[in-house]
Amino acid sequence: MSDIAVSVESISKKFRLYHERNQSIKSAIMRRRVSVHEDFWALNDISFEVPRGSTFGLIGSNGSGKSTLLKCLAKILYPEHGTITANGKVAALLEVGSGFHPELSGRENIYLNGSILGMSRKEIDSKFDAIVEFSGVEQFIDQPVKNYSSGMYVRLGFSVAINVNPDILVVDEVLAVGDAEFQAKCFQKFQDFKAAGKTVILVSHSMATVKSMCDHAAWINKGNLQAVGPAASTIAAYESSYPS
Amino acid sequence: MQYFKELASARELLANLTLRDIRGQYKRTVLGRVWSLASPLSAMLVYTFVFSFIFNIKPAAGDPSGVNVFAIWLLCGLLPWTFFSAAISAGMGSLVGNSGLITKVYFPRVVLPISSVLTVGYNWLFEMAVLTIALLIVGAFVLPWLPLVVLMMLILVVFATGVGLALSVANVYFRDTQYLLSIVLQIWMYLTPIVYPESLVRDQSDKVGGLFGTNIEVMDIYSLNPMLHFVHVFRNIMYDNRWPDSADVWACVAWAVAAIAVGLFVFARKEKRLAEIL
Repeated sequence: MSDIAVSVESISKKFRLYHERNQSIKSAIMRRRVSVHEDFWALNDISFEVPRGSTFGLIGSNGSGKSTLLKCLAKILYPEHGTITANGKVAALLEVGSGFHPELSGRENIYLNGSILGMSRKEIDSKFDAIVEFSGVEQFIDQPVKNYSSGMYVRLGFSVAINVNPDILVVDEVLAVGDAEFQAKCFQKFQDFKAAGKTVILVSHSMATVKSMCDHAAWINKGNLQAVGPAASTIAAYESSYPS
Repeated sequence: MQYFKELASARELLANLTLRDIRGQYKRTVLGRVWSLASPLSAMLVYTFVFSFIFNIKPAAGDPSGVNVFAIWLLCGLLPWTFFSAAISAGMGSLVGNSGLITKVYFPRVVLPISSVLTVGYNWLFEMAVLTIALLIVGAFVLPWLPLVVLMMLILVVFATGVGLALSVANVYFRDTQYLLSIVLQIWMYLTPIVYPESLVRDQSDKVGGLFGTNIEVMDIYSLNPMLHFVHVFRNIMYDNRWPDSADVWACVAWAVAAIAVGLFVFARKEKRLAEIL
């Protein structure tokens, strides 16, 4: 195994900005085209490497392409050019509680959500108690999740995701969920992750979070990589770019 | 081939998604799963009243089973049809309906349309079990034929999955697909010998003869319908209790293989862009 957890090689991602989009067959035929669009490069020739065992932060202003990059890392979007090589099992946490069925109980949803995230039934069986304990919804585990408070819902979703136990965890600002106590628990979990030699890639707007958690960071601006390296210097470069 | 490998690794996910739909389906209803039988039963009553009582359509008695009950004869064709029609509709809507999942989590997307088809298939299994009991009551000796029935059900599931896969992608690009499909299905049903015996079409076709001076007859065009072969086979096995025409069976298999090949091909080509388009 190499020391590189994820290697991103000159990836570019194009989106189409639609001026006119014919999502019906009639308009597609009448106008003789499906759409009028121009290309927008959300990511432009980005390359970097994420060292194994690091906590890697992606920073940048709104619309800079961080989330697009994250979705590429999570294999939800596919870049037009370039390749992403991950050494190990990747789990992405872009939204918690994906695929929860409101009418099903918390218990059934743990199994459902776990398998969506790629866990086998055996794995879920063995981690079930840990998941329930971490979420703190023991009392309501056999209730339909539609009766959960939004905090409980999110906590359950997060607990399932965190227990997937990947080698590389990709996280999108989901830390901003739950109460202070739950956030502290999450923070602790990330520390454990790191201690276990696993890699975390994280997108956040909160410089405080990035500073306290990340050892490496990449700054992206308008789809271009501005800086990459140790967290402190990258954050300093980013903050110095603020118009004062 | 790589697709089947991926699918094999995702079979637990497929099972869980299917169970999610099956369990969630009739939650908070008093009658629960009985509802899945209500719709074919009401269709049976209406069609029997209109076509048997009013129009006086008399299909031939089952040979050699000797059964001569219009409602049962109808159901032997109607249940496979309602499965097919519900399955491809559900499969078609599966990607758009699960867009929240597709844009947030990576997993083999192909499990979504397949699990939709399987959910409908699960209900169909109940309907067929009830039909089997009804067949036994009216005196058809259907039990030895059950393995063949199950095999044909599987072939129809494959066919529906193929069509559903292609339609699910089409629906992501053009939302018209869903409206178009409901019209197509309505026409398609009456072009399939479900509520009337095929012999009536054959008689008319013979009367008309070759179309436009060619020797292509109405019946030749009529036989292009894949569901016609499925209806033949199901009626042969369940209502008549005899071996189906092997030409019909091969036609079913060929259509199923073609549909799943095209469906998987279309799906594999467009799968990666789904999250973007949705």
